[in-house]
Amino acid sequence: MVDVQYVTLVETVLQYFFVVLFAPLFAGILASFKSKVESKKGPSIFQPYYDLFKLLRKETLLPEGSGLLFKYIPYVAFGVYSLISIIIPVLIPQPIYFTASADFLGGAILFSTAAFMKMAAAMNSNSNFSALGTSRAISFNFLSEGTLITVFFAVSLITATNNPYVTNHFLVANPLQNVSLDHIFATLAFLMLFLYETGKLPLESSGLQELGMIEEGLNYEYSGKLLAINKWGSYIKQYLLGSVLLNVFLLPWGLFSTYPLFFLDVPVMILKWLLLIFIVIAIETTLAKLRLFRILDYLATAFTFSILFLIFSEVIV
Amino acid sequence: MSSIAGTLAYPISSFILISAFYMQGQEFIRPMIRGQLIQSLLIAAVSFIVGFSENNIDFIILGIFIVFLRGALVTYFLEKGVPSKKVYFYEKKVDVAYLLLVDLIFIVIAVFLIYSIVFSSISIKSLIGNNGILVFPLTLFFQGLFLIASRRTTFAQIIGYVEEENALVLFALFLLPIPIIIEASVFMDVLALVVISSIVVIEKSTHERVEELIG
Repeated sequence: MVDVQYVTLVETVLQYFFVVLFAPLFAGILASFKSKVESKKGPSIFQPYYDLFKLLRKETLLPEGSGLLFKYIPYVAFGVYSLISIIIPVLIPQPIYFTASADFLGGAILFSTAAFMKMAAAMNSNSNFSALGTSRAISFNFLSEGTLITVFFAVSLITATNNPYVTNHFLVANPLQNVSLDHIFATLAFLMLFLYETGKLPLESSGLQELGMIEEGLNYEYSGKLLAINKWGSYIKQYLLGSVLLNVFLLPWGLFSTYPLFFLDVPVMILKWLLLIFIVIAIETTLAKLRLFRILDYLATAFTFSILFLIFSEVIV
Repeated sequence: MSSIAGTLAYPISSFILISAFYMQGQEFIRPMIRGQLIQSLLIAAVSFIVGFSENNIDFIILGIFIVFLRGALVTYFLEKGVPSKKVYFYEKKVDVAYLLLVDLIFIVIAVFLIYSIVFSSISIKSLIGNNGILVFPLTLFFQGLFLIASRRTTFAQIIGYVEEENALVLFALFLLPIPIIIEASVFMDVLALVVISSIVVIEKSTHERVEELIG
């Protein structure tokens, strides 16, 4: 009989290192598959790792007039994402160490904190481009944060608790709940939010084109090690949001929490992510390009869905 | 049978609401008219479902009327009003994000007030599902009201009116005995929609704020 505490410790370590080390891989797979769909040769699926290693070796340049926030916040943001990765069910469906430190809403607030800190750091860089990225990010985020929090509120209404683990177990135990109206609306709203937050809207919001950049605008003045840390943080954020979408909304099944079996969660998560990547590529490559100011309309639609879902989950028993 | 009807009525009602929000956010007139068509057909579908579940032919007659009057006639008259050389005819300056947000605030407050003040003090029992299903027609009603208030094109305003009509029919479908709905619905359709809409659309296609005051 293996000690329970020992198992929990192994689970915690496994989850943390899986999230931190594998997050760039999923970004690489997505970029590679997307290029193949567009009939290009495309980069290797390990390209994000090559980029990170290259940037970690390079010299870090600080712009003139930049402050302390600019210099240190990438580390803090990375730390926040690391913390989130051990408090929500992104690999092991059973509470692990640190899970008790925050609930669903706590996770949402941590995401918002990291986003806020990144904007504060970008403003501290003393650069016009970063200021442009910040003002864009803020003018869109007020709707996306609202959606995120409303979706989480509404999820907690279904199960009468604010714990994502309970939601996951509830959905696994009641399969019919997965096709209930309120759950479908929440999934849709969260999927729309995931596409926006990870820069997967057909707008090149993750590229370096001046007309469409939002996220990259915040990273504009970073270089070397700081840029690597920031990029790594973004990969982790993408993995976390995608895994919440998979484990709490879209596909709650298939994860194990008993001793030897929980190692199987790693291939299961990779398979689930391949499905999500397929969905994202289908959306990204088939939709016409949006104009930048249309993002607000898109986010308002997501917000509408989440509010409707909130009403529905209250009135439909 | 009744439980199946309830299960079907919820998703169809939510699609009706989605079609309403689609029309609210739509700048182009022709897709808006088509949205109205789909909404009316969905309401006819609800009517058929209630008819089969209650084993009452009156609901099926109502469904056929809705398909014919709202689905065919109103759509035909509205589409005829769209300039034939301008199929892309659209309303300028429609700020979707702003409209949706104000719409949501308006609807949530209105539905909440009616639900918590009016419905809690009277005793009602819906024909299918539980009383919660009444939130769909209520939301649709206020959505139609907001569509009329927020737009300047006559098309949008008439479609908002149709939406309110649809909401009343949907509300009645879930609650009332049937003959009065058929009479009221047919009367409203023929008089208000077909006659008024065909005249108004041809007369004047947009209303500016100040003109509305002049008359």
